[in-house]
Amino acid sequence: MFFRLLLESFRRQRRRKLLAGIAILLGTTAVTAMLALATTIGDRIHKELAVYGANIVVYPKADLLDVKIGGVDVKPASGGAYLKESDLDKLKTIFWANNITGVSPEFRMAGMMLVRNTTTGGPFDPRVIWHWNDPRMTGFGAFPVTAVGYWFQHRFGTLVTGAPQLHPWWQLQGRWPVERGITPTHGESAQEIVLGAALAKRLGLHIGDWISMGNEFEGDVVGIVTTGDVTEQQILYPLDATYGILPVGTDGKPVDEAPIDISRVDISARTKPEDAFARVNPDTLSPQKREIWYCRPYANSIAYQIREAIPGAQAEQVRRVEQSEGNVLSRISGLMWLISAAALLAAGFAVSAAMATAILERRGEIGLMRSLGASKGSIALLFYAETGLLAIFAGALGYLLGSGLAAWLGARIFAGDGGAAEAILIPVLLPVVVALALVVAIAGSTPSIRAALKMDPSAILRADA
Amino acid sequence: MTSRLTLLGILRRSLLHRRARSLSALVAMTVSAAVATALLTLYADLDAKLHKEFRGFGANVVLTAPTGSSLPEDALSTVQQAAGKDAAAAEFAYAVATTDTGTPVVVAGIDFAAVRRLDSWWQVDHWPNPSDSNAALLGQRAANFIGNEHQVTLTYAARNITLNAAGRIQTGGDEDSRIYMPLDAFTAWTGVKPSVIELQVPGSAARIDKVMTRLRQDLPGMKVSAVRQLVEGESKIVDRTHALMYGAVLLIALTVAVSVLATLSASVLERRRDFALMKALGGSQGQLMRIFLLEAVALALAGVAAGYVAGSAAAWAISEGNFHTASLPRLSVLPLVLLLNLAIASLAALLPARVLRGLQPAALLKGE
Repeated sequence: MFFRLLLESFRRQRRRKLLAGIAILLGTTAVTAMLALATTIGDRIHKELAVYGANIVVYPKADLLDVKIGGVDVKPASGGAYLKESDLDKLKTIFWANNITGVSPEFRMAGMMLVRNTTTGGPFDPRVIWHWNDPRMTGFGAFPVTAVGYWFQHRFGTLVTGAPQLHPWWQLQGRWPVERGITPTHGESAQEIVLGAALAKRLGLHIGDWISMGNEFEGDVVGIVTTGDVTEQQILYPLDATYGILPVGTDGKPVDEAPIDISRVDISARTKPEDAFARVNPDTLSPQKREIWYCRPYANSIAYQIREAIPGAQAEQVRRVEQSEGNVLSRISGLMWLISAAALLAAGFAVSAAMATAILERRGEIGLMRSLGASKGSIALLFYAETGLLAIFAGALGYLLGSGLAAWLGARIFAGDGGAAEAILIPVLLPVVVALALVVAIAGSTPSIRAALKMDPSAILRADA
Repeated sequence: MTSRLTLLGILRRSLLHRRARSLSALVAMTVSAAVATALLTLYADLDAKLHKEFRGFGANVVLTAPTGSSLPEDALSTVQQAAGKDAAAAEFAYAVATTDTGTPVVVAGIDFAAVRRLDSWWQVDHWPNPSDSNAALLGQRAANFIGNEHQVTLTYAARNITLNAAGRIQTGGDEDSRIYMPLDAFTAWTGVKPSVIELQVPGSAARIDKVMTRLRQDLPGMKVSAVRQLVEGESKIVDRTHALMYGAVLLIALTVAVSVLATLSASVLERRRDFALMKALGGSQGQLMRIFLLEAVALALAGVAAGYVAGSAAAWAISEGNFHTASLPRLSVLPLVLLLNLAIASLAALLPARVLRGLQPAALLKGE
């Protein structure tokens, strides 16, 4: 009998059910979409913030002091300490290795010289760039140029990373070099390189030209990069070509730095925004607290783990990026959560109002059932069952619609970031949203059911006649 | 005249007689107005608030004198004028000096107060006292190359200066390898004048472009460049958050509107009997529609009044809680909120009235 009543009620009163159902559906759709967006906004904004570049920088500990003004080396350092490229593999072993999203080592050769033939007094030959230490340099006038070795589309564990990934604001004309030797046509070894836009303009070189560097090394220009900083004055070459560029002494060995040494590594990592606990010195903490500090993805603790993993390395968080990034991230996700709360409140209200109306409309039915001898309890049970069924059904549908809406909104707003278009189907949200719909619907209909049950059935029936 | 009085009388009676029903409709209208007000107020303020958050990243425009020269005397005031009052600017003068251990180090002359405002991301354990002309901030890397940290002796072109290290600075950038000292003392010691002005222009990429164009006009010969990653990143993120918020506002407004519509039209539908009675007593279709409409509009107006206050308060609380700055109530959102609620109310009154039009009063009253 109970189930027949329930079934008939859904079959016959389609309009009323539809109204309440639509209210629940819309409410859960809005709430699901907002919650889905709020939970994923952190990752999305973090991806956007990647344009600021690395948030952790690693350099050799015993290095000489940088003498840089406005990014330009005022006094080129020679010698000094370097990190080994092979040391970078240790980054994969640290606790938060999976949070590292980009690695870009660089080897800065500040001592390259654009060569002028002093005997003829002729102009600089844009094709000849030698190291200042090169034995051939004697007798030539020269103009300093910086050459920097980078990774380009380098395979690092599961990542494909390098300078372009860590400097997304660089604008490239042409393409990035391929990290392998190419067939030389003018020298003994050849490699693709990229020139800074200002340097290319000064030298009058274009994509497709070539330069001769160091040890019979041929650099084929495949790209010209605009960066807005000093990199525009530099030569960018693949790091593993360093050996070919370094000058060779009379003994046939490189006269300067050993090959593939690294003067700096930029690392971009997913981090937790810094709080007061992140700033404490881990060495002053108790072992338990230190463990907690160590196992949180703060930029400070990741830097600490890198220092542990690579001997002779100094790792620091880039405060300019890290500090403000955390702020922006927490503000935007905070805003989304608050808006979600507002959506929840509004949807909750809307659903309970619709439920109250739906029950109020059916006072006559309640009066009739009461006068036919139904107990208050069984009537309440019937109405709650109807409400519950409606809430579960419309709530689940709303969850699906909301997830779709969130995915669509997310893909539209964050288009072109790669991976942004993935569907947001967060299974945890399903029970949460349906439970919320249930609670709100039942809470919304309770006052009306109580009020209707309290009234004298004869009064209701007479009023409705 | 009499007809209007009667109309108002009916309205008053109808609202007061079914008090519970009127109250629930009023609450519905209030909530919809409050939600619309809160979201619109937040939305209107959003860009300014987000841009403010990005101030933490420091300078986004850098003005540099050509190599070997310095900026004109009045450069800083010219820059401040071009960029507007809310922009932060600071001068930097650089020289390479030698420490007591013989290591070359970049020394920068700055106005500590201005730089502190501009570069809030610098981690400084103790900012120097502005009255102390010999105070210095040591970069954490630079400090390793100084023998006596209490009496920092630096040499520039055979001239010595002794500074008191007031604190350490740690940024993870070039600053770590430098020593910072007050500009006046720096210029007196080295004779080098400021060559760089760093400028933080709050606002959109368009505004930054405008400021840069003006700076190029006002200070010819100087190189004006934007810190590209900051300008690009900021406008991108602000735009996207803006779009996200826009989507959220539409979504929530739609939900609330449809629910309010449902509640109100149900309440009108429920009064079929009143409708039938009035029609039986000689009321015309137009008159009846007017009564329903007037009732709904009265409720909507009351709802907007209450909802505007509640919504402004909610927007204020959200801003205060999230951005730590207040969002003041905006009168400019009121017309939109009013329009929205009036539209919902009119729809809620007219849609069911159309359904009722075809009903026979006699049949309804007889209970058929």
